[in-house]
Order: sequence, then C-alpha cells, then structure tokens
Amino acid sequence: MKILMSVILIALATTAAAQGHLDVRTTVQKQEVFVNEEGKSETRLVPAEVVVPGENVIYTITFRNVSAEPADNVVITNPIAENLMYVDGSAFGPGMEILFSVDGGKTFATAGELNVVEDGEVRKAQAGDFTHVRWVMQNDLAAGAQGTARFAAILE
Amino acid sequence: MDTANTAFASAFAWTRRLFLLFLCCAYSIPAGAVGTAVGTVIENTAVVNYDLAGAPLTIQSNTTTLSVAERINVTVTLQSPQVPVAPGDSARALLFTVTNTGNGTEAFALAIDSLIAGDDFDPTPAAPAAIYFDTDGSGDFNAGDQPYTPGAEPDLLADQSISVFLVNDIPVGLANGLTGRSELTATSTTGVGTPGTVFASAGDGGVNAVIGSTGGEAQDTGEYLVSDVQVSAVKSQIIDDPFGGNEPIPGATLTYSIVVTVETAGTATASTVVDAIPPFTSYVPNSITLNGAAISDSIDADQGEFDTSGTPSVVVRLGDLTQAQGPQTVEFQVVID
Repeated sequence: MKILMSVILIALATTAAAQGHLDVRTTVQKQEVFVNEEGKSETRLVPAEVVVPGENVIYTITFRNVSAEPADNVVITNPIAENLMYVDGSAFGPGMEILFSVDGGKTFATAGELNVVEDGEVRKAQAGDFTHVRWVMQNDLAAGAQGTARFAAILE
Repeated sequence: MDTANTAFASAFAWTRRLFLLFLCCAYSIPAGAVGTAVGTVIENTAVVNYDLAGAPLTIQSNTTTLSVAERINVTVTLQSPQVPVAPGDSARALLFTVTNTGNGTEAFALAIDSLIAGDDFDPTPAAPAAIYFDTDGSGDFNAGDQPYTPGAEPDLLADQSISVFLVNDIPVGLANGLTGRSELTATSTTGVGTPGTVFASAGDGGVNAVIGSTGGEAQDTGEYLVSDVQVSAVKSQIIDDPFGGNEPIPGATLTYSIVVTVETAGTATASTVVDAIPPFTSYVPNSITLNGAAISDSIDADQGEFDTSGTPSVVVRLGDLTQAQGPQTVEFQVVID
C-alpha cells in the first residue's frame, strides 16, 4: 500500500512538471448593462467574444502555484494587441508592482518613468504608447497560493 | 451729339439679377478614424516567468480570442454655406457629405425633409427627384449628376464619403431675408436603434452588426436665403480719335466705363464684372481701373485681370456688394483696329 501511494505521488508530480508548476489562465470580459429585479440599470462582466470599436474589454490573468514549492520572482507579462489601447490606470494586481513597456517588451519601467520620442521630441509616455503590461510579484507565491492580474483596454 | 466726349453715344443700361456665386468648402476625413476593421481577430496570451528551486521557468496562459463586429455609424455634414435664392427659382441645390464612420461596408438610405420648423418658408423638393449624387464630383449640381433611387443605395466602405445634393424649388412671392431649410437624413439599411443594439449576423461576412453612437442614422440641415438683390450695371464709352476729335475711326481710343450699383437691400455676393473686348478692337495694356485705382493685367492677388484664356475679357471682382458701398466704377481702354 505504501509503495502504491508513492507511485501515485510520483505520477502526480510528473504530471505537474509536464504542465508547469504554475497554472495560468486568461479570460477576456466586457461590461454589459442589464436591468436588475428592481428595474435599475446595473453593469456586469460577461465573456467577451465579439466587440466593436470603442468598446472596453477586461483581461484577467489568474495564476496558481500547483507545485509543492514556493515560486520566486513571479513576473507576468501581457502584450497589448495592436488594435487595443490600454485604459489609463486600469492595471491592477494585489502585491505586485506594475510596469509598462513602450518598446515592444524590450524594457519595462513604471508608467511615470517612460518617455517616447515623437517627431524628434521627447515626451512622457501615455496610455496609448504602452505595448506591454507587466506585473512583478513582491513576495514568493507559496505552494497552493494563487494571484490575479488585470487590465482594461479599449478597441480602437 | 450733345456732349463732346460721348459722340459715339451708345450708353446702355440693364438691370438684372446678379449671379450669386458661392464657394464649396474643401473637406477631408482623417484616414483611420473609423476603428479596427470588421472581422479582425485579436488574440491574447499572458506569459509568466518564475523561479522554482533556483531554476528559471516560463509558462504561457491559454490564448483568448476576440473578434471585431461591425459597428454602424454615419455622419451627414452640410457643405454649402447659406444658399442665396430668388423667389420662383427652380432646382436650387444644397451640398452634403455622407460619411460611413463605421468599421465595415454599409449602405445608407437617403431622405429629404423640407418641412423644417423654425424657418420662414418651406422649399419644395424638386420633382421627379430631389436627391442627387454629385456624380461628376464638381461640387455643383448639374446635368451629369445622377438621382438617388431608393433601394439602390451605394455601398460605402469604412471611412468612405459620398457627396449628395438636396434639390428644392423656391416658392414665389417671398420677401428678401426669409430663410427656408431642408434636411438630409442618411439611415443605415441594416437598421437603426439605440447604441449597442445588435443585429445578429447582419454585418460584413455574417458577423454581428452593432449600432454605434449615432444610432444608425444622421442628418444635417441646409438653408436657403431669399436674396433677390437688384444690381444695375451701366456701361458707357468715350472716344478719342488720333486727330483730337471723337470719331470711331481706326486708331481711336475707346474708354469704357461700367458703373455697378446695388439698387435694393441685401448683399450681392462675389460680384464680378466680366466684359469681353469688342471685335475689331485691341485692349490697351494696363488700362484697367476700379474707382480710379489701377488694376494689373496679370492674374494675381489684385481684384482683376485681362483674361486671355478664352475670349479676351476684362475681369474685375467687386466682392460682396451692398447698397451702402455706392456705385463701383470699372474702366478700361481699347483701340479700334
């Protein structure tokens, strides 16, 4: 019996290694206005499959440490697609520092530190300049723990 | 002849309605204003880097997919300034631009309404057609322009515009200064509704079509102004022959004088004197004056020129004239061949 348990544990560990030690999922949602039971308009998030220009979408990345050891230096990076524009101030992630890139993901810094060159003049980067969002976890992600990162973008 | 300098007395006068000209505004629509093209697929994958037991590792998330539906939007923009008309005029046109500001291909039904509240008179939509396309792209309504046929709306690509005329007749018996309005409405043939209304599978390639901020339709209103300004132009000439007399013989100089006067209230806009050089005479270079001030022969920034592009003519632009400005005198000289 003991031997059998060990075999099963080894098999589980092997499966986890094959899939990675973190389980990472992304969803994309949009706001929908609906009328509640009291007849008032409310908004709720629904899965976004089809969008039109001008509509906001919200990307949520959830990640869980499915290994038996803590994960260090967890960094989540999400590109902002060509036809999407980051919604200023929307990036969110508990216990994480939020950085941005304006050069296609080569370098990252906080929003206030980024500059871009336009028509030969240096100016502060704006939301529309961002090509990637990055979340840097400040602490380890303990075994079994999970975290969430989120940002919104508008379809151009 | 009673006056020495009017021996060749052919002074004549006429009163007519001065042609009132107007300029069409140039316009352009910034490219790419309409947004992401219908059918575009937007994928997203997050990447997570981490260390486990000192070893750097990378994992990707699943990939989400968004597809871009058709957003229906349209604008209608009046291009004509207020159009001066006279009572009884027929087929007076207002120029509009209809622009597909959605992100897919769309057709728009067109409608005219000349019974607009808040004006002084109702123009009468021309029969049998009152809506035309500016087929020749001239900006002016003319014989080559094709009428709009309901049900045969042209497809407009995203960001594409089309020029449309509303054509009205002006009722008789209207006083100067009265205004009449006419409105063009463009309505998506897919449908209208509050922004966000979805027409399932009605977009390009069978995607959903969604009503945008304009509700699927748009309109703009143009205005006619009754401006039946009476302008008189009186032309006279003085002959000086080479022998000190006033005979119209070869070598004699003719000094023409055209006096233009606004006789009624109102503004004669963009008034222009165009006078052809008579046969068997030659224009005397640099002889054009307006109210005594010289005007050069060349086509330049001043108010006139000697135009030889067609029938040789003296052209002097008087601009917007009112009664208050008094008579405007244009003079030039020719020599009898």
